[in-house]
Amino acid sequence: MNGQKVVIALLVCTVVASGSEKITFMSTQLVPIAEAEWVRSELLPRFTKETGIDVVFVGAGYGEFADRLVAEYKAGKGTIALAGGLHGDYTPLVRTLTDLSKEFADLQALGDRTFIPAFVELGRLNKIQAYIPWTQGTYLMVVNKMALDYLPEGVDIRALTYDDLLAWAKNIYEATGDKKLGIPAGPRSLLHRFVHGYLYPSFTGYQVIKFDSPEAIKMWRFVKELWQYVNPAVATWDAMDTPLLSGEVWIAWDHGARLKQAIIERPDDFIAIPAPAGPRGRGIITVLAGLAIPKASPNPEAATRLIEFLTRPQTQVIILKGVGFFPVVKEAIGTAPEGPLKVLADGVMAQASSKDLITAFIPSGLGTRSGEFSKIYRDTFVEIVVKRRPIREVLSRQGRLLKRLFQETGAPYPPPDESR
Amino acid sequence: MKTDRLLPYFLILPTIIYLLIFVFAPLSKAVGLAFLTDEGRFTLGYFERMFSDGRFLEALKYTFLLTITIVPLQLITALLIALLINTRFKGSQLFLYICALPLGIADLAAGLILLSIFTQHGHLNSILYHLGFIEKPFYFISYQHMGFVFLSIVLAEHWRATAIVLVILVAGLQMISKDLLEAADVLGAKPWQKLWHVILPLLKPSLQSALIIRTIFALQMFAVVLALGGEIIPVLAGEAYFWYYIYRNNHISAAYALLLMVISILMTWIYLRFLRTRSEMRA
Amino acid sequence: MIERGSRRKALIYLAALMVALWVLVPILLIGLAAFSPKDEVYRWPKSIIPSHFSLETMEFFLRSYGVIPSLLNSIWVALLTLVLTLIIGAPAGYAVARFLFRGRESFRLGILLTRMFPTALLAIPLTTTFIRWGLYDTLFGVAFIHTAMALPFAVIIATGIFIGVPKELEEAAMVMGCSRLGAFMRVALPLALPGLAAVAMFTFVISWNEVFAAGILTVHNRTLPAHILTTLQASPLYFRFAGGFFMVIPALIFMFFIRRYLLHMWGATAER
Repeated sequence: MNGQKVVIALLVCTVVASGSEKITFMSTQLVPIAEAEWVRSELLPRFTKETGIDVVFVGAGYGEFADRLVAEYKAGKGTIALAGGLHGDYTPLVRTLTDLSKEFADLQALGDRTFIPAFVELGRLNKIQAYIPWTQGTYLMVVNKMALDYLPEGVDIRALTYDDLLAWAKNIYEATGDKKLGIPAGPRSLLHRFVHGYLYPSFTGYQVIKFDSPEAIKMWRFVKELWQYVNPAVATWDAMDTPLLSGEVWIAWDHGARLKQAIIERPDDFIAIPAPAGPRGRGIITVLAGLAIPKASPNPEAATRLIEFLTRPQTQVIILKGVGFFPVVKEAIGTAPEGPLKVLADGVMAQASSKDLITAFIPSGLGTRSGEFSKIYRDTFVEIVVKRRPIREVLSRQGRLLKRLFQETGAPYPPPDESR
Repeated sequence: MKTDRLLPYFLILPTIIYLLIFVFAPLSKAVGLAFLTDEGRFTLGYFERMFSDGRFLEALKYTFLLTITIVPLQLITALLIALLINTRFKGSQLFLYICALPLGIADLAAGLILLSIFTQHGHLNSILYHLGFIEKPFYFISYQHMGFVFLSIVLAEHWRATAIVLVILVAGLQMISKDLLEAADVLGAKPWQKLWHVILPLLKPSLQSALIIRTIFALQMFAVVLALGGEIIPVLAGEAYFWYYIYRNNHISAAYALLLMVISILMTWIYLRFLRTRSEMRA
Repeated sequence: MIERGSRRKALIYLAALMVALWVLVPILLIGLAAFSPKDEVYRWPKSIIPSHFSLETMEFFLRSYGVIPSLLNSIWVALLTLVLTLIIGAPAGYAVARFLFRGRESFRLGILLTRMFPTALLAIPLTTTFIRWGLYDTLFGVAFIHTAMALPFAVIIATGIFIGVPKELEEAAMVMGCSRLGAFMRVALPLALPGLAAVAMFTFVISWNEVFAAGILTVHNRTLPAHILTTLQASPLYFRFAGGFFMVIPALIFMFFIRRYLLHMWGATAER
């Protein structure tokens, strides 16, 4: 029994010991092992050296993140000093977060960083500054160079359309007998983002308004056609880096962070290109990650200092070069990383500078029900494309759920819908 | 005499207190989730949303299909292995040890192990290739082959969780008095008669325990399903998990959980009713 | 007669061999995957035996943050759970098996009922309770909820075991002058011990496998499965296999130690 106590004490010591001040930083970002290692060994030691504050970085899944913030909020005391998460992670959790309006004003007063105003605005939830922008990301395509041999003639790879994509994937299939197109469809994949932020705006011009419309029906007929050339194993992939590396997929759509590993391991084999355009334009999503201080934070002062450090232009550039997460302060934008991540950055830049862009945002204001929004688009995809149920029937049923969701929550339609 | 009447209550008291604190208290909070809105109004809306969900019927179907496929399969396998061990061949101790190995293996790990076999560049495809059956990897785990996905889940669960049934049955088998079996031999009973008329009836308490445990676990199964099939094959527990963990609606998640609970209670009731043990009959 | 006997023997061994292979081959395969060089995972066609063994994946896995402490955490949590469960649950199992008391059936049903609710819905309300009690992020807190999960089954299995121990033996011991406790300790307990070992194993496994509650009730003191689940999420395939294999090793070690109990179970019958 004594030995056990000693071991428990030792375990506790390894966590608590060393350094006078210690805070916990929990994040849904930078969770994969390689990235988390980088944060612990490269990024945070700089902060510790400067301030003497030790930071314990804890990676968490989205559900775990939310559970813990809610639990600590309800209990009134917590362990998490600072939280790092996506815009969508925070929308159901606003009541657990401190208003950072004052802290944000202080940061601006420093004069060395200019946050992109649209991002700051997104961080204002329920009339408080729920989070301060941290990094941005997007979804795009990564292509194995072997696929370029089958590119239909006259197609500009930097201005691809969905029809080009179909023809391309078809070419590859006819030449090799393999379905080399990849859209992630595993349980933790971001398939729904492809549907509501890429397909819908590109084909109908809107995310929500034209959910059940003649344009949408046409779109789904197209997706069913495209699906013939999608690798049958997509349901097992949450991220497309794995099949890109194994060669099972040559053309993949996914979040930049989920494509990155392929490029890092074999930078000479892949290129990154903008997502395709549809009849209405090139629908893309910009995702925003932010930093928030929970109301139950045991050390808001130290957390504020960490926010200052993480949003500093120099740090933003370090993060870009280290893990390929893009800056949110203007002073850091434009710096291109070197080495393998340059491939990814080039693709992101090319996409961002496309002329026919329709930028979609993940809806805010749905609160605890924002997950249902994703579910509706996912289920629609699976029911129409995979289970081959009648398009009209599925669209009208899921459309009713979607309508009800926005009615019941009173949430505004997400851009581009509201800027009609 | 008085202490004897109170004794059983003293013995079960710690269990009752413990479960009241750690299960029933949080549970009652959770039950409220399924029927009450955040404002505290009574509603059936969460159940309505659950029933109208596009995946609900499929999840219900697959939960039942998986359970009625896996549980009997495990019971039969475990019984056969237990009888094999009971022949007390040389090395049966080592054999029992080997068979009990999966007992310590987490369902997450079992899912990953079976994934390494069934994935398109996995061992099974490689073996089929080397044997000359296929040229290109066969996609066992994909939307096109729901049957294979179902089969791989059954195989994974069968592989992982048969050990617990086995251990319960071996423990039960060794409780059976040898005299009874010898008596059966003396009376000239054939092996299958011995099995049917002596061993199985005496094994009933163990069989009942094993059956109830495995059924309840099979109904709640989702980690293996998730690791192998992702969302291809929906199950009720998986839907509860998704609604809770990904779609962030613990009300609907609670509704799924309640449904699972009702099904589990029904199944248990059926087992207890139709597989009564002797001392219960007397009572 | 001899002919028939040896044929029967051969059949038994053949059956045993096939069952053993069925159990062992998957473990062997994940081991091969974990000790192959990283890029072997993506190779097609894969050779049955990897071209050469490599420790790079396993080494990286073991050296990455938090793996070793979480392993120790898992072991302590599982042992705490095991002890708590046996102390609380075995007497209840004995009571249900031996005594006809009012409310026995309700008790049994109540017990079963507790395990039919998915863990998620117990764990969430418990997080707030645990923070208030200072149990949040402690190994004891995790062990407490694991005990709550394992207890119902421990009671059920223990009941089955004590029913199997003939009541008459205990009564005989009492007639011969043993106290109730004495009769239990000297007669019932030794006979039930192998079965209780099964309860212990089962409890250990429940705790060892549990991810959900362990994941949300801790921040730093994660158990191994919770740690692996959160870090594996978006990790490459070879990494997942290494993690899968690593989760199996402690299971093998644990089973090796409990092996003597399995032998014990066997010995008890052989002597009778």
